[in-house]
Amino acid sequence: MPQDALDRLVALDDDPVTDTASQPATLQVCRYVARTRSLRSVIGEFDIGVPDDDLRRHAVEAMRRKEFMAYTVSLPDRFDTDELCFVPQDGWCDILSIRTNGWHRHHGDHRRGLNEILSDLAGAVACAKLRILSTEELEVERPRGTALVELGLADAAALASARRAISGALAGSGLSRSARAMYVLCVSEAASNMLLHGGGGGTLALRRLDDRLRAVVADRGPGLNFVNWMQPPSDDGQASMGYGLKIILDNLDTVGLHTGESGTTLLLDHMTK
Amino acid sequence: MLQTTTSPGPAPTVHLSGELDLDCADGLRAAVFAAARGAQAVVVDFADVQFIDSSGTGIFVRLCLDLRSQSVPVTARNLPPQVRGVFDMLRVRELVGDEVFAGS
Repeated sequence: MPQDALDRLVALDDDPVTDTASQPATLQVCRYVARTRSLRSVIGEFDIGVPDDDLRRHAVEAMRRKEFMAYTVSLPDRFDTDELCFVPQDGWCDILSIRTNGWHRHHGDHRRGLNEILSDLAGAVACAKLRILSTEELEVERPRGTALVELGLADAAALASARRAISGALAGSGLSRSARAMYVLCVSEAASNMLLHGGGGGTLALRRLDDRLRAVVADRGPGLNFVNWMQPPSDDGQASMGYGLKIILDNLDTVGLHTGESGTTLLLDHMTK
Repeated sequence: MLQTTTSPGPAPTVHLSGELDLDCADGLRAAVFAAARGAQAVVVDFADVQFIDSSGTGIFVRLCLDLRSQSVPVTARNLPPQVRGVFDMLRVRELVGDEVFAGS
């Protein structure tokens, strides 16, 4: 999360957190549309206990300031905090609710903290690097361009051949060798996350659009949550470190994310013009 | 696909060849833990690694931390540019300590 946003953290008087650590950590997103003054869920069912009028008021304020606004939300008798972020866009404001629900890494756990991961997400939305897609937006974006590669991924053994397929399709794309390698790494990270968190399998496509290359990584899993990122590492060391998303967001031009009960889709864009 | 071969000795060297990703966890752990049995230290040689991602990195970090807790230090050698780049991106030195990369 940008430092200037962190500097703006203030405590809300409202106390919407009533869950216990037995519930999953979540990222929920709703969208305030200025023209209609409407609020609608984009990721998850947005029900955080803050009155709609307060959400609208803060969204309008963020849009007026044209600034990312973040608030911490905490219980007086708990040390963990959740976050509520208002990210102004052109004509609308995305409202991200980051709820840890008391989940913490154990001491000595080398993986990234949940707050780091979720703050990266919020910061990426604020910087227009990560675009949260509604179902309707995904339906428009997903078929755009021409398919260069389309394949299914059933398990981790398929990752290497998937990387070779993507790398081969990029050979004549004009990308430098290092840019190709980085793009393949990002696609592989997304595919690995899909296998770990997205119900164990899904599809991978590479598409050429007029101004970009786009990988579409889609699963039919339970949607984005962070429970399995919080569990202790398994003996085989396969538990997620939480770094794949960081690599993706740090190295791609733009990323689209749609997630819900019917699965998660990532659009990984490398601009060519 | 990851292949491993081990050169025996008081500080055996596990040579890695291929790709370190989500698919390689079992093989990598088995090879390095087998090498560490009764050893004073273990060297992991990355010279022939063509690809590594955050999953492969996570497995290596976990190995280092697990073996350190058993008083068997791990040293990484011959990091190719792609491996070094991913390790730098993920700040692996901060997670496992500079001593893992002594002489690399």
